[in-house]
Amino acid sequence: MRTLYLTFHVYLAFVTKSFQKRMQYRVANLAGLTTNFFFLLVHIFVYTAFYAARTGPLSLNLNEIITYFVLCQVFFMLMPFWGARSEVTSAIKDGSVALQLTKPVDFQAYWFSDECGRACYYLLMRGLPTFLISIIFFAVAIPTQPITVMAFAVSITLATFMSAAITITVFSFAFWTLDTTGFSGLSYSIITLFSGMLVPIALWPEWLAHIAAWLPFGGLIDIPFSIYLGKITGMDIWIAIGKQMIWVVFFLGLGRILLKRGFSRLVIQGG
Amino acid sequence: MIEVNNLSKTFKVYHHRKGFFGSFMNLFSRKHRLVQAVDSVSFSVARGEIIGYLGPNGAGKSTTIKMLTGILVPTSGSVTVNGYIPHRQRKENAKRIGVVFGQRSHLWFDLPVQESFELLQRIYRIPEAQYRHNVEVFDALLGLGDFFRTPVRQLSLGQRMRADIAAALLHNPDVLFLDEPTIGLDVVAKARIREFIQQINAERQVTVVLTTHDLDDVEKLCKRVILIDNARLCFDGELAALRRLLSTERILSVDYAETYSDISIPNAQVIYQEESRVQYRFSPEAISTADLIGAILQRFKIVDISVQEPDIEELIKTVYEDNLTLAQKLAEADVIDLTNRKRIS
Repeated sequence: MRTLYLTFHVYLAFVTKSFQKRMQYRVANLAGLTTNFFFLLVHIFVYTAFYAARTGPLSLNLNEIITYFVLCQVFFMLMPFWGARSEVTSAIKDGSVALQLTKPVDFQAYWFSDECGRACYYLLMRGLPTFLISIIFFAVAIPTQPITVMAFAVSITLATFMSAAITITVFSFAFWTLDTTGFSGLSYSIITLFSGMLVPIALWPEWLAHIAAWLPFGGLIDIPFSIYLGKITGMDIWIAIGKQMIWVVFFLGLGRILLKRGFSRLVIQGG
Repeated sequence: MIEVNNLSKTFKVYHHRKGFFGSFMNLFSRKHRLVQAVDSVSFSVARGEIIGYLGPNGAGKSTTIKMLTGILVPTSGSVTVNGYIPHRQRKENAKRIGVVFGQRSHLWFDLPVQESFELLQRIYRIPEAQYRHNVEVFDALLGLGDFFRTPVRQLSLGQRMRADIAAALLHNPDVLFLDEPTIGLDVVAKARIREFIQQINAERQVTVVLTTHDLDDVEKLCKRVILIDNARLCFDGELAALRRLLSTERILSVDYAETYSDISIPNAQVIYQEESRVQYRFSPEAISTADLIGAILQRFKIVDISVQEPDIEELIKTVYEDNLTLAQKLAEADVIDLTNRKRIS
């Protein structure tokens, strides 16, 4: 039990240090905040125009759509591939990642902690201000039921874990390709689409939404935001959260295998 | 403390086809060749020893160190450090060793040195008292106080190296691996680091494995050196013995009055020639210095002449250049019978 506590203690320290080191770049963060609002405005204008021109009823009303895209910007930096990545990825490229193996630390857990620290940082320094400013200027819906708030908190945490696990998996390909821009670019497109980042899945044609439901990426955005908007209720909430959990475990497992194989073939580059 | 037996490592190096079509083909079939990075190397290091692990670039030094630290899995042969098999018991081994790679920092780039140290304290579960004591001692010896609160990315190379070495010793490791710890440093910084290593080694009986291209490091720190070249071990013994052995060879530098076409002298080998300036290598056993100079004076006009004992750098170059002669010499001199040694192991 004590060992478990001490182990947790170590990785918690990684989380906080990851948070701390990002505090050094606060000005860059301010610039990022502006970008968030730029994209938020673009989305809001496009959808306002779209809703004004619509003929039939849609599964999300304009108010919900605006809330949806505010949430997208609030949690934008917590999602995989968007924004600056940790130095771990460049460490794989130049081979210095091998040095991590000289420490008595599990590498995946270390990287995961680093990603979590990063998520905490962006939640606090980017997400929170975005949210606070948005509720002043836009009609953002705020959930009233405690169960919704709780379920959303759990779901968004799982989404963050999934994001970290996916990031590790995708960037582990650097062991093979040395440059992941191609692969991560491809993943970026797929995830942007199938997570519901670009267009909420609720507005998709049924057959395409059906495909999305079988893919893991809805767990990043569609599931937590639908819970927030009260589109998923009752028992379905727990099914959705269970789905997220399964995908988190899946990506952690996949990442673990890739890292293990990656490390065994590393080493050639750089004496 | 360290036992290495018949250790070998072979790498597959993939051949990359050129061009777009080529890289497409790479996806399906890839040609590779095998590169022997370390070839049946055996040695052992006792507790408290400082050994210099030397060799030219690409000789297999780093590969060996990586196998000793658990980063790499050997192709064949065995390694134990502290009784642990590094690649199988990576974490256990990691707790008992300290590693410094001169070219790369272990510290967290964006964090102040102190924060990195505190993180290490948690990683290695260092008791508070031990941590404080170590920081105090290292501060006194290395002057960490001046930059303890500075982010690592703002440190000078010398400061960073001091911080890195101190960081590697916080958890009182039994073995310290230093890979080019003085690379790029000025004379004062080098001296400081050497002194520190010496002191830590003497006081704490830390075993040190040092790879370096700086032969001053070797001379100041190591009694024993291991040379590897072309993946093979070519000398293992006292530095003094190596020098004694090889300093039978001397260098004679001559400035001739004019450029001669044939400057060969029996029993002396021309190792350098640029216009009228020539260097000969000779062994005093084959020809005495006086006879050699006599022979030169008989045939040529000279401006200047001098004899040097080769320094250690020169010695090691000789070893690298033809290690067969060295092996023979070693066998003759009976300092260490290399051929025999190999057969035993």
